[in-house]
Amino acid sequence: MDIEITIDPMRCMGSGNCSFWASATFDLGDDGIAFVVDLAGDPVDKVVLAAQGCPTQAITVTRDGRALG
Amino acid sequence: MTNDDTSAAGVTATADDLDSYLNLDPMSQFSGVAGDVRDPYPALWDKRQHHPVERIETTSWKGDPIVQYTVYPFDLVSQVMRDNETFVSAAIRETMGLVMGDTLLVGLDEPEHRRQRALVAPAFRAKAMARWETTLMSTVIDELIDRFAARGRAELVRELTFQFPVQVIAEILGIPRSDYTLFHRWAMAIINLVADPAAGFAAAQDLREYLKPLIDARRAEPCDDVISDLVTVELPDADGRPERLSDEEINSFLCLLLPAGAETTYRASGNLLFGLLGQPDQLDAVRTDRGLLPQAVEEGLRWENPLTITMRRAVRETELGGVHIEAGADVIAHLGAANHDPQHWDRPDDFDIHRPQRQAAVFGFGPHMCLGMHLARLELRLVVTHLLDRFPDLRLDAGAGGDPHIHGDRFRSPTALPVLF
Repeated sequence: MDIEITIDPMRCMGSGNCSFWASATFDLGDDGIAFVVDLAGDPVDKVVLAAQGCPTQAITVTRDGRALG
Repeated sequence: MTNDDTSAAGVTATADDLDSYLNLDPMSQFSGVAGDVRDPYPALWDKRQHHPVERIETTSWKGDPIVQYTVYPFDLVSQVMRDNETFVSAAIRETMGLVMGDTLLVGLDEPEHRRQRALVAPAFRAKAMARWETTLMSTVIDELIDRFAARGRAELVRELTFQFPVQVIAEILGIPRSDYTLFHRWAMAIINLVADPAAGFAAAQDLREYLKPLIDARRAEPCDDVISDLVTVELPDADGRPERLSDEEINSFLCLLLPAGAETTYRASGNLLFGLLGQPDQLDAVRTDRGLLPQAVEEGLRWENPLTITMRRAVRETELGGVHIEAGADVIAHLGAANHDPQHWDRPDDFDIHRPQRQAAVFGFGPHMCLGMHLARLELRLVVTHLLDRFPDLRLDAGAGGDPHIHGDRFRSPTALPVLF
């Protein structure tokens, strides 16, 4: 079962912290808001690290409807 | 805060106040702002265990009685820094803002903070930083290394780590090389503000005067540097109207950038090199597999925070870790203690680049998370890369004497890094 990633654009402050921890999964758009480049870009633990480290907790990672991390 | 408060504190600055910074001795700060402590971790371990949220009645720098709470465990430090509605940055505005201006980014709360942060952020994104990597940053580091490369030995704190971050900042701002020393002197005096207010105010005033014509010139004719990025940036506000940074905001921001960017990276790069040079097997691992460098950088940052504390103020009555905190109390988040919390880190006092990766309490948490973290990480990777490329047998000079060790309380970094190659 694949993971699902949601990013709340109202919370995202464009720190780029997520793309540091999981650079193949997250990137920043020209608007400074993070987006998912590739759901399977990094190992799940890196994606969870990125979500945990988000300064405004804008990222949610779920599998089967359950939050990871 | 007004200028009246400044004069009330007896702060009048003269050019002479800066004389003590002329020699640019990195060690001069340990007796002042950095703090004279060799190993704070046993005491921090004890505090974290017995007083995780410690109440202290003390006096402010102006002499008023204040209540202060210091927070030591990782989870509570993270909570304080993330909850920016309870724990606000006003206390920073009231101190550093005096020197750097009311619009100082690190002293702003919402919604002003989010607005200004969004405007300055593009210039400091990882991709924006990467454009300086191969030309400008590598040149700065290589030129410093050139000066001692033929000697077979060096003292890396005085000859490299203390020098390169301020030069990198100057370069990306588009400051002429001839002004590097001036710039470095201002940075040191501003960072040393608490210990020597008169020199700090004088330096900030000089720096602001110096920057004004530079900002004007970039407004008239933008080029490829950070000041140009700041004068040209434009973002729509909530109603779709274009927002820009004012000259005052830019000046204030640049005033912050110099000490914030130079001081922290100087200390962090020394700590990282001290960790690696002190554990030759780990240095070897990085030497043979450069892919390990990013996690070595993270471990260096966790193991010894360049800046160990940051401050917030409780804007309302609250509770933290079972301790009642009154409205108006200052709350100090002890990042250094958090990064040595055994509840969060296995063998926290050991430097181990192979430990499972987690985000350390070093760039902060929450909306004020360090804007310069991408720049800092890049500089740390580059300085190690260039040293290893140039000196394949780089090693600590055990016979150099002088008892090199990491020192400091508020700021920590090595007293010296004598090496052979």
